[in-house]
Amino acid sequence: MASKIAGLLTMLKKPSAKYSLFALLSVGFLSGIFFWGGFNTAMEATNTLDFCISCHEMHDNVYQEYKKTIHFTNRTGVRAVCSDCHVPKDWSHKMLRKIQASGEVWGKLIGTIDTPAKFEANRLRLATNEWTRMKANDSRECRNCHSFESMDPERQKLRGAKMHKIGQDEKKTCIDCHKGIAHQKPKGMKEDDE
Amino acid sequence: MKKKTISTLVLGAILTMGSQLAFAAPDWSKVPKRDVSVFHPGVTPIEWVMKKSDHSGTAGLKKGETCVGCHEEKGTLNFNFKRLADKELEPKGAPVTMIYPVAVQASYDAANLYIRLTFKAPAGGADKGDKENEVKATVMFPDAKVTQAEQVGCWAACHMDARTMPGADEKKTKYTKDGSYELMQWRSAKGAKVGDGKVTTERKMDGGTLGAKAEGAKAGDVYTVTFTRKNPGEGKTIPFGLAIHGDHATGRFHHVSLGYTLGIGATGDVKAVKQ
Repeated sequence: MASKIAGLLTMLKKPSAKYSLFALLSVGFLSGIFFWGGFNTAMEATNTLDFCISCHEMHDNVYQEYKKTIHFTNRTGVRAVCSDCHVPKDWSHKMLRKIQASGEVWGKLIGTIDTPAKFEANRLRLATNEWTRMKANDSRECRNCHSFESMDPERQKLRGAKMHKIGQDEKKTCIDCHKGIAHQKPKGMKEDDE
Repeated sequence: MKKKTISTLVLGAILTMGSQLAFAAPDWSKVPKRDVSVFHPGVTPIEWVMKKSDHSGTAGLKKGETCVGCHEEKGTLNFNFKRLADKELEPKGAPVTMIYPVAVQASYDAANLYIRLTFKAPAGGADKGDKENEVKATVMFPDAKVTQAEQVGCWAACHMDARTMPGADEKKTKYTKDGSYELMQWRSAKGAKVGDGKVTTERKMDGGTLGAKAEGAKAGDVYTVTFTRKNPGEGKTIPFGLAIHGDHATGRFHHVSLGYTLGIGATGDVKAVKQ
């Protein structure tokens, strides 16, 4: 077995006498496009709403709550799906998030939240994880669509306009106030988290 | 003996005339009306108001903002009434009408402050616990020691563990942690006594110091209630809040105003006109 591996390595290191450099580069280039494109396509497929709600844990719990909110349906017809809020847009952060999310596959396998009761028992912990992530990145995913610069307080309700002024003055980030906007707030939130 | 009796009667008659002169009704046609919205607050006591996870405006209150400053807009209140009527904030069921206006007028003379409320109290209440009174109208005045008195109106007296709140002791009335409120209440039942009370560690409907009097009448579906209380002093601006218990409601099933100010020859949301 060891001699076979050594033989393969020797062959890979050996310059090709049979194929031209052009042919090798062309095959390498096209294979690169194929595998890279395939990888990204597969990764993007995991960013769709359909993929996210393909497991009953998401479909039966958070999806049902999200369907009642303005991020699902609204006057202008712009929808923010799960990944718009929960997965970064830029590649490097997205990759890190996806690697981190692979831990959720283990949770799925062992059934961490596979019943409504288990989901409720874990809701605060799961929400806190997400709030911590969003707080640390200055609500980056919110800011893909929203910004203080493009807000017109005159068109906001008075209460929103005043609170946004306070938020700007105190350099708050979106998630400091806007918790529970797409899902129910967990019970037992600590005042520090609020 | 006979002379003494006659003298007493004459003196009594003079005093009665005098008191009628002192409480002479203002000419309300010359007093401007300020519409104040009253709304069904559900289960939103001061503990709810001051908890950020329930009420994001807590940050504004901590900055000195008033409830009115954020929530009174375009002649009404900008609350999410769907949320207020929902089971979470109103487990018993919300009234059909969540908000309606009360026209407030105020006037004063050397001795008294007069406050007139004009409103249509709608039917369709969710609680009809008061069998005697179809309607009760209450005005409360917090003193300066009440925490955030000028910001939160009556809310500093409204607590989660007070009667008619879910799971609360049915004998525990509204109360304050600091300071006190004076209150006056008109009740629609024939011959009902006018409430002149106080809210401190508990609420008492009598023994107050306002010298409150009240008259109310219903014409068609419009109630007009006129209160008379001692003038707290020209040049003062005092905070106040309203509560209307309509359709036989009791306890927290009232429609309440946010906290407003009344100026007696001074600035205020409602300006009392000098007679």
